[in-house]
Amino acid sequence: MSEAKRFRPAMAWLHTWAGLVVGWVLFAVFVTGTASYYKDDISRWMRPELRETVIDPAQSATAAAGFLAKQAPDSGGWLVMLPKPDQPLTEVYWWKSFAGPFHHALLDPVTGTPTGARDTQAGEFLYRFHFELALPPLVGRWIVGACAMVLLIALISGIVTHRRIFADFFTFRPDRSRQRAWLDAHNLFGVLALPFHLMITYTGLMTLGPMLMPWGLQAAYKDEAPHFYVEAGLMPKGRMPAGTAAEGLPLGEIVRIAGKDGGELPEALMVSSPGDAAATVSAVFEEPHGLAHLHPQIAYDAVTGAELARNLPAGPATRTATVMYGLHEAHFAPHALRVLFFLCGLLGAATVASGLVLWTVARAPKGAAPEGFGLRLVRILNVGTIAGLPAGIAAFFLANRLLPLDLAGRASWEVGLFFGAWVGVALAGALAPRRLAWPLTLGLAAATFVAIVPADLALIGEPRFVPFDIAMLLVGALLIVAARTAARPPSALARRAATRVAEA
Amino acid sequence: MASDSPPLDASRDPPTRSGSEWRGRLAVAGRVALAAFGGYTVAALVTALGAVTLPLSRAEAVSTAMLASFAVMAGAVVFVFAAATLRRAAFGILGTAAILAACLWLAGGFSAGVPA
Amino acid sequence: MSAATLLLCAALAFAGMAALALSLDRHHRVALRGPVPRGRVRPLRAVGWAGIVLSFAAAIALDGWNFGPVQATGAITAAALGVALCLTFRPGWLRPAALAALPLAAACLPFALAA
Repeated sequence: MSEAKRFRPAMAWLHTWAGLVVGWVLFAVFVTGTASYYKDDISRWMRPELRETVIDPAQSATAAAGFLAKQAPDSGGWLVMLPKPDQPLTEVYWWKSFAGPFHHALLDPVTGTPTGARDTQAGEFLYRFHFELALPPLVGRWIVGACAMVLLIALISGIVTHRRIFADFFTFRPDRSRQRAWLDAHNLFGVLALPFHLMITYTGLMTLGPMLMPWGLQAAYKDEAPHFYVEAGLMPKGRMPAGTAAEGLPLGEIVRIAGKDGGELPEALMVSSPGDAAATVSAVFEEPHGLAHLHPQIAYDAVTGAELARNLPAGPATRTATVMYGLHEAHFAPHALRVLFFLCGLLGAATVASGLVLWTVARAPKGAAPEGFGLRLVRILNVGTIAGLPAGIAAFFLANRLLPLDLAGRASWEVGLFFGAWVGVALAGALAPRRLAWPLTLGLAAATFVAIVPADLALIGEPRFVPFDIAMLLVGALLIVAARTAARPPSALARRAATRVAEA
Repeated sequence: MASDSPPLDASRDPPTRSGSEWRGRLAVAGRVALAAFGGYTVAALVTALGAVTLPLSRAEAVSTAMLASFAVMAGAVVFVFAAATLRRAAFGILGTAAILAACLWLAGGFSAGVPA
Repeated sequence: MSAATLLLCAALAFAGMAALALSLDRHHRVALRGPVPRGRVRPLRAVGWAGIVLSFAAAIALDGWNFGPVQATGAITAAALGVALCLTFRPGWLRPAALAALPLAAACLPFALAA
């Protein structure tokens, strides 16, 4: 074969196997990532005790500092994320050194004591799972990063392999063979949202970039790595601790000063070497309206409140990198655009899922021949992931409503039930007779989603949560449709679709 | 529909059927390893070289290099799987890596301490 | 970046994508009975691409070069999905829907300008 003629089949082979190996992880990454577009709404639903309140960020900052000074007297640093009216919580992190570990607490915005809202990881759990897979951070992020790289390869090889990208652009033929239908579906979902898929993959890689590809930073800065962040305009210049103790200004005072200097109140405060004579407080402001995820920051002397430094303006390359981060997170998107991002995320998950199913359908043994071990394993993993993960998410939400409020380790129980339901549904799919696997597991997932609604209405019953409940019903309905479609024998499905096409 | 056996080393004529299967599998494993580790190494070297030699401010050079790095790795991986034989792929990747490493060494990227 | 802008862009893109789809024999047969008439292919393709370009242009004009391309890409994706689903399940509705999309886009314009 000539070079050119061999290229396409080689890329087809690469696409098939690369897609399979990382498909299950990628499905989970896409689903939890898509859900994360609404992570704040999810968190609001999962902490029904909190209501929209008027808050004074300065007072919250001082109260939080009081908590931190008592909790962790000799920290290397604090991060205080100030509350907002629709998110009345002060989120704090503290650490001994940047190597971690990072401790975390959610505080009442007025008193600075741990919040009275139910103990839950809420939307943050799905968000973190999206890039860490509930594993130790370095392990999880490297796995997700590697899978993202393979996804990029799968996208490129998929584009090369897809012979008739324009002619087949709108083509979906459910009336033909199962393999044809699944291939059409996979192509459709993949090509329709191709700009999104390429964007989300590359921006995802760039978001993990400093961890995955630190070699530029290494080579150019050697042991002066923190200087990069200052020179790039990502952080203001810091200073080393003096080693002597000194009492800092109340944190709220810094908030007020920063509010005057920055023209608006800061979003967060980063305190370096709290309690030290050379302690600094960096006020972090919200990203200006735009795609770039760049936060203006002003560093203050913690003791006197004098301004020490601001972050430098970012150059075009750094700005591009932050635009990539901004595009990935889509913080800038208002309601309607966010729906579109969500839709595209679903299309991404659907592309992965249809690819995984296509893989087994294309290799299904003819007639009554038994399926091999490899094929059986892939099929079981497909059912377990594609039906199991949604079931786990539904169980996570359901547990949030059903678990007693004073249960010790409640947040961990919710996460435990997430995994328990996932594994349970996966097992059900593995043990069930082959033609029942999909209808059974999809049905279980659907039932769990639908069950959320009466649980919420009965136990909480607030009108502001009705949109979320409606969304749960819609997901449940979608899964019911999927379960019923999976339960129909293939010939009946083809006949119905064929008559519809003929009637049109 | 793509077949399961890679049409990669089709030019080779193996003696026995099981021998060809093993050789095929080994070649595939070789390509995967070369693509993953070799591709990553090439991308890492390009990133380091770019950060050190690009005529931009230090921070901007680092950012620019990182922006390009994943595209470089993707290109290297596609090359490994598109090459006619594993040997050609290996020469390509390892040769490129060697040249990049030499350039990086000349540019002072490997020495300890802050560059001038 | 309002809903009106998105709807405007999506409507323009839907009309354009529908035209492009109908310029292919395969889809024309299913939606309108019979293959594409000889002289129609080029005009349909021209209208099709015009719809997509207009969708982009509208987004950029209304929301600038930063947000415009992002909006347009999202709207075009949604529109393409709409055309694909329409062709698969209700092909007879494609031409009426594409024609209705144009006045819909026009109706959205004042709202998009006001936002």
